[in-house]
This record gives sequence, C-alpha cells and structure tokens, in this order.
Amino acid sequence: MNKIMYLEFERCIGCRACQAACRECGDHDAKERNYVEHVDFMESRQTFPMMCMQCKDPACARVCPANAIQITEEGVVLSASEEKCIGCRNCTFGCPFGIPKFDFEANKMYKCDMCYDRSKHDIAPMCASVCPSDAIRFIDFDEMQSLRRRRTQLNLVEGKKPTEQDKWKYVPEFFGVYSD
Amino acid sequence: MTEFLAKPGVKNLHNKGEKLITTHCSYCGMQCGMHIRVSERTGEIKGVEPRYDWPVTLGKLCPKGVTAYQQIDHPDRIKRPLIKKKGKFVESSWEEALSLIERKFTEIQGKHGKDALSVFGGVSMTNEKCYLVGKYARVALGTRFIDYNGRFCMSSAAGGFMKTFGLDRGSTLPWTELEHSDCFLMAGSNTAECHPTSIQMFWKARDKGAKMIVIDPRETPTARIADVHLDLKPGTDSALANGLLHLIIKEGYVDQEYVDERCNNFEELKASVEEFTPEHTASITGVAPEKIIKAAHIYGRSPRSVVMFARGAEQQSKGVDNVTLYSSLALLRGQIGKFASGVATFTGQGNGQGGREHGQKSDLLPGYRKLTDPEAVKYISKVWGIAPEEMPKPGVSAYEMFDEIHNGTIKAMHVICSNPAVSSPNVEYIWEGFKKLDFLVVNDFFLSETAEFADVVLPTTTWAEDEGTTTNLEGRVIRIRKAIEPLHESKTDWQILSEIAARLGRGKYFPYKNPREIFEEFRIATKGGKADYSGITYERIDKEDGVFWPCPSEDHPGTPTMFKESFGTPDGKANLPAVGWEEPGEVPTKEFPLRLTTGRVVFHYLSGNQTRRIDFLKDQCPEPYAEMHPELASQYNMSDGEMIRLSTPRSTMELEVKLTKATRKDIVFVPYHWGKELSVNKLTNPSLDPVSRMPEFKVCSVKIEKL
Ligand code: SF4
Ligand code: SF4
Repeated sequence: MNKIMYLEFERCIGCRACQAACRECGDHDAKERNYVEHVDFMESRQTFPMMCMQCKDPACARVCPANAIQITEEGVVLSASEEKCIGCRNCTFGCPFGIPKFDFEANKMYKCDMCYDRSKHDIAPMCASVCPSDAIRFIDFDEMQSLRRRRTQLNLVEGKKPTEQDKWKYVPEFFGVYSD
Repeated sequence: MTEFLAKPGVKNLHNKGEKLITTHCSYCGMQCGMHIRVSERTGEIKGVEPRYDWPVTLGKLCPKGVTAYQQIDHPDRIKRPLIKKKGKFVESSWEEALSLIERKFTEIQGKHGKDALSVFGGVSMTNEKCYLVGKYARVALGTRFIDYNGRFCMSSAAGGFMKTFGLDRGSTLPWTELEHSDCFLMAGSNTAECHPTSIQMFWKARDKGAKMIVIDPRETPTARIADVHLDLKPGTDSALANGLLHLIIKEGYVDQEYVDERCNNFEELKASVEEFTPEHTASITGVAPEKIIKAAHIYGRSPRSVVMFARGAEQQSKGVDNVTLYSSLALLRGQIGKFASGVATFTGQGNGQGGREHGQKSDLLPGYRKLTDPEAVKYISKVWGIAPEEMPKPGVSAYEMFDEIHNGTIKAMHVICSNPAVSSPNVEYIWEGFKKLDFLVVNDFFLSETAEFADVVLPTTTWAEDEGTTTNLEGRVIRIRKAIEPLHESKTDWQILSEIAARLGRGKYFPYKNPREIFEEFRIATKGGKADYSGITYERIDKEDGVFWPCPSEDHPGTPTMFKESFGTPDGKANLPAVGWEEPGEVPTKEFPLRLTTGRVVFHYLSGNQTRRIDFLKDQCPEPYAEMHPELASQYNMSDGEMIRLSTPRSTMELEVKLTKATRKDIVFVPYHWGKELSVNKLTNPSLDPVSRMPEFKVCSVKIEKL
C-alpha cells in the first residue's frame, strides 16, 4: 500500500455518504463500520467522521482472547475472522476510539478493514472515494506532507489551537490525521 | 457500444464475474459520474463503483448517489399496469390499460375538445424523453395544456437569466474552474446538503484562500464554513442584493469599462439602489449592517468571483427579481464570460437544465424556441411533420393547470415523471383537483402520492434501464447508459408515449425504435434555437467528457464559457434590472406571527418518492420536523423533541420540534420530502412570481402551538 488515509474533520458536511458507501464494500455485508457524529447539534451543524485508526499495536487485537483480529502485512487491522470470533466483545471495550461494532444477531464483532480488497491495490476505500468534501482522503504520502505543511503555515498566521491528547501516537505512518 | 469508460491509469475495483456500466446518478443536477456493477451471468445489479475520472465530480457521491442503484430492483417497483376498479388498484395487461386510455382520451376530447386533456411533465429524465413529452402533448394529444415540475424548481432562474442575459444556461462557466475562483457569493443555497459533491470545489478554492459569502436564514453546513454569513429574513433577498449593489457602486468596485461596453440600464440601476444604504438594508433584512459592508468589500475586492443561487432565492414571488439582482453583482464587477468567474444556479433536478429547454414548458418549443414566435412554430412543425396551424397555442403554468381543473376546463391529465401531490404548494388544492378529474394517468416506477389518485398507473423503467442524455447543471450534455433490460413489465416513457400516440392515430409521428433515433430528431429540432444541441452526438459525449451547449455543428467545440463577447439579447448587451424590494406574498400578522421556510435534507430527493424507499436514507431521516432556535421555542415553552402544531392560512400539520442555535430566531424550517399528512406543502403559499409563475415555497406566515 503506497497511500495514506487522511482525515480533516472540519471539512465534514455530515452527509453520511461515507457510511452509505461503507455498506457497499464487497466484504462489508451491507453493514457500515464507520461513524459520523454531530459535535453538538444544538450549537452548530458541525459533524465529524470516525473510523478505525488502524493502530500500530491495536488494542482490539491485543485484547482478543481468540486471536480473531488479524493484521495484514501492510498493517491493516482486519475485521475479526468469522470462524474465530467468539463474540466476547472485548475488542469493542478495548479500542481507545470505540470503533469495533457488534452484531448481536450473529454474535460477532465487525470493524473497518480499510476496504482491504481495494486498498491493497491502492484503490481508495469506499468512504474516501465518495466523501464529497474530502474530509476523508486516500492520498500519496507527499500530498499529505504538503497538506500538513500548509496547516502549519496557517497555524503560524492564525495561532495554534490547543493540542489533543497523545492518542495520535498510536496512529501508523499510512494514516494521516489533521489535528491542530 | 462501449459500456465502460475509464481513462488510462485509473484503477477501479473489478470484481470477478461483474461488469461496470459507466453512467451518472439519477438524482440532482450535479449528475455525478458513477459505474453501476452488474453481474455478467445473471444481469443483476450488484452495486456502485466510483467513477474517479469523471472530471466534474471525481468519483464523489452523496448518500443518495451511493444508494441510487437500490431503486432498480426494489420490491416496491410497480410491476404491471394498474387500473383502479371500485377504488382499488388491480393489475392489468398493457393491452387493457392502453385500450382504456385510448377510449377515455378519445371520449373526453370528443365531448370537451382537445384542451380537455393535459400533460404534467418532469425533468428527472433524459433529454430524449423530455423532448418527447412536449411533442406528445402537442402532436399526439393536440392540447395546449402542458407544463412541468420545473415550474417549482428552475423557472425563476430561467426567467431571471432570460431577462438579464437573453439566454438561460444555468452556469456561465464550467465548474471545473471553480477551484480557481477567489470568492463565492451564494444566495439561498445549502449546497453542502443539496448538491453535496460541489462542496469539494469550494473547499479546494478555500484551501487556496478563496472567500465565501453565504446568504441563508439558517446556518447550514454551507453557511458554517462561510467567511461572512448573511442570515437574512426569508423573503428579503432583493433588498439584500440591492444593498450589496449599493455598496459595490458607492465603494468604487464597478468595472466601468465592462459595464459601459456590455450592459444596458446602469444609470437606472444606480438610481434604484440609491436608497439601499447598509442601515436601510439591515432594517428590512435583519442582517447586521457591518456584515453587509464586510461582504460587499470581500466581494468587491475579489479579482475572480462567482455569484451562485438556488431555490432559496428563486422560490419566492419575487424570484425573478432576486435572480436579476444577484446576477447584476457579477455584471457590475465585469465577471461574466471570463475564467473562473461568472454566475450559476444550482440546478435541482437531474436534467433540470436540459428538460426545461425543449418544450415541456407551456410556452416553449425545443431549442428554447418561443411558442409565440411564428417562425419557431413553422420550423418545429416542419420537423414534426405537422401543419403550423395544428400547433396548439401556449397553455398555463403548472400550478395554474390546477385552476383549470377546478374551473372545469381540464378534464383529464397525464402525469409523467412527477409527483405534484407532494411538490406543489398548497397541496390540498392539488388533491382536490386530482379528485375532480374524470381521468388521471400516471407514469411512474413507484406508487407515488400522485399515482394513488390515478385511474391508470403505467409502470415505467428507472433511469438505469434506458439510455439517453441529460444536461448537468453546468450545461454539459452527458450520457446515461442502460445497465439492464427493463424489469418486470415496465416500459420506458418514450415507448409508452409512442404507443398511446399510435392508438390515437398519431403513430406515424412517433416511429422510434430507440432513444438514439429520438436524439437525432431532437438535434434537428434544436438546430438554430438558443439551446442548440445539433452538433452533439453520443460519440462526442464519450470522447470529450460531455459537450456544452450551444453546439451548432459537429465541428463546433461546444461552449463551456458563455457570453465571452456578447450576451444572448437582441443587442448583445446584458440588461441590468432596476427593481426595489417588495414584501413577500404573505407577511406575518397577529394571528400568524412567524415565518415558515422549507427546504431539503441531504438524504432525500424532491418529493421523496424514491429516497423514502431506500433503507439507508429512510433510516437517516424518516420524518419531517420543525427546526427552530431554542430562544423561539422557549417563548412557547417548548423543548426539543416535543410535538407542535403549525398552522398557516391554508392548513395545519403536526411535527416534532428540533432545536438548534444554528438558525434565525424568528423562523421555522421544515423539510418537504413527505406526502399526505406529513407534507409541509399543505402549508405553503401559492403566491406566484409574475414572470416565472414560481410559487413562494420559501416564505409564508405561520403560527405555532404546543400540543
Ligand atoms: S462522506 Fe465525508 S462529508 Fe459526508 S459525512 Fe462522511 S466524512 Fe462527512
Ligand atoms: S444526488 Fe446529486 S450530489 Fe448526490 S450523488 Fe446524485 S448527482 Fe451527485
């Protein structure tokens, strides 16, 4: 995989095309694995998408007693293998971002796999393909670096906003997140 | 015929055993590119694949586009013709349904004359079909009563453009240039929700420092990212536009050379905006004077700017005035006919542009020809092979057709690709009208609220079961491809119209075997008209990523940028308006003290007949609601999620309250995509624009009561 997933939360317009598209991925069983939330609808219409961060040492896989969550050679954290998942839900509690979902009927977890059948060929995952506002992108490393540089430039002009906690250190190299 | 188009180096996911059919979305005017996945073995529809190399939208889709394919093999599809017997629909054969139509149409016209029949068209279908609907009404039925749902959508933009530029192409520039603009002034458009895939262009420009001025009573997702949000009272657009024009002139931002050379009426405009000082404008619009001043400076200083508007400004009884005034902002700045600048309207329906040019409007013939022009009548009669005397005279506008039903002139109606039982204003009047008809035929693939009133419902195909062309919101003519054969017993609209024509003895005028034959005739019909498509071929569309009209010959490159040298008026100059501000058709009173405005949500399309049936979209937004500011709610002691009653002089409805501070404090907003008791159009005001006959959906007076 030669591309980077890149998120820019403030661009999100809340259209949920990413969720509709997530259902369309061949391996996704018509169930969406990502999230779109309002920050606070009473105050503003700002929304933001949330999806698996593909952690370097993923908590979900670490806490899985059945070893059902596999990590590909590129580092993509796959959805639990159907045969192995015992439905204990450890992963849904273990994940620091609250990403894995649970199918109570099938008694199995399911999560974002970055549309592995697409991304392994450098074809954009469905969410990043359709996102109308480029809040979710699947881009080259260089493009991400220049986007980040531009952010730094803007920070110089407008002043840097308070930083997030250090949870972004879990995020691997092929996953870019813009956060001031 | 190539069914899959992709540029070299573009990677798509091709699943084994599937083919990709290259086409566009069925819904809005963005006409986003997509591929539909089809099983090679069974021919079944499998899903959607992004079309990364469609230059306008680059693979992006909104949730409607992503799920559009789910309409095709949907369980709610009407499978066979339906005939109402003793108040209930019964499935029938085509033979029985068409015979009944033949008998009834002949009987009604025999008794009451040709004009007792009427046609209500729509523009969510291909140019081929839109063209044929006009011909069907005039040649097969011989009636003058034909109009279409664009009256509720694009007619004010069209009217305003005709007045100002002498020609109505929704965008004067190709939208691939938008990312190079320096400033967008957007009035009455929540484009983030209504044309979501356009937002990428605005973000791209913003990333390079472009400014956005958004004019909207609500702080929509579009207004949220604006540099200045002018949160005006609904119905005060012309005052605000006059106020901005006042400042552009006063602050010396006028491109005088351009205006002198290319515009008429500048002195009159100057005089009429004189009184619109920031304070005066603020007192009418409710927008702070500082914000108006800031917006004028940003707009005035931008070297390349685009003025854009949509239904918010257009669906008013002064919609045409609003369009002419906003367009003048671009004219005074000398922006039209140049790179990355100009004027554009956000076309609502998929083929809102193409569909309005070719004779579905009561007073138009193909190629944007006027039915009142004897030369136009002569030319089109010749193309159609009828005598000019046979050509019916102009009829009346969409809403006014229902007046003709109520006063007994129209006895029967054929509704094609439209759902006026939801989308008209004052919709109970429409329902009464449908009940009064002797005979109603509806073509649709889902049983719409309008179809429920019908005597005969004819099952049509969805967009993916037929081929043809549409014209997107830029004016770019593009191709819709057939992904599968018609499902069940459905037929395409053009087949249905041709068969009815044949039964009425007019078959020789409708000899088509496929859409391409209609397209070829249609090219000739548009030749020499304002909207000239005669140089466009299916092959050119594929090769050139669509072709912009006017395109008068096959070696003409098409016209991405309009009005480079002159305008479409007789003297080639643009006409600046000189119009003041007038109150909307209804103003708040003691009894109805607030303003109601209506609009769309991202999950639904128009009357919702399609999107309300798609699980994902329905789950996201199952019902309408009344959105208001918490300060307004607290005056009525109401809290989030409570039920309230809204009443206007026309009717009442009950809704749940949804609170947000991202809106004005003196308005109620309700989305309009639902029918029957959930239809906010029971409440809206049919006050019509004098020129475009557009009803005033966007503002009426309302009372709220806690339940
Ligand atoms: S598709 Fe993009 S803009 Fe739409 S909700 Fe998802 S992240 Fe937000
Ligand atoms: S509804 Fe409009 S914006 Fe959404 S995918 Fe279809 S054409 Fe594109």
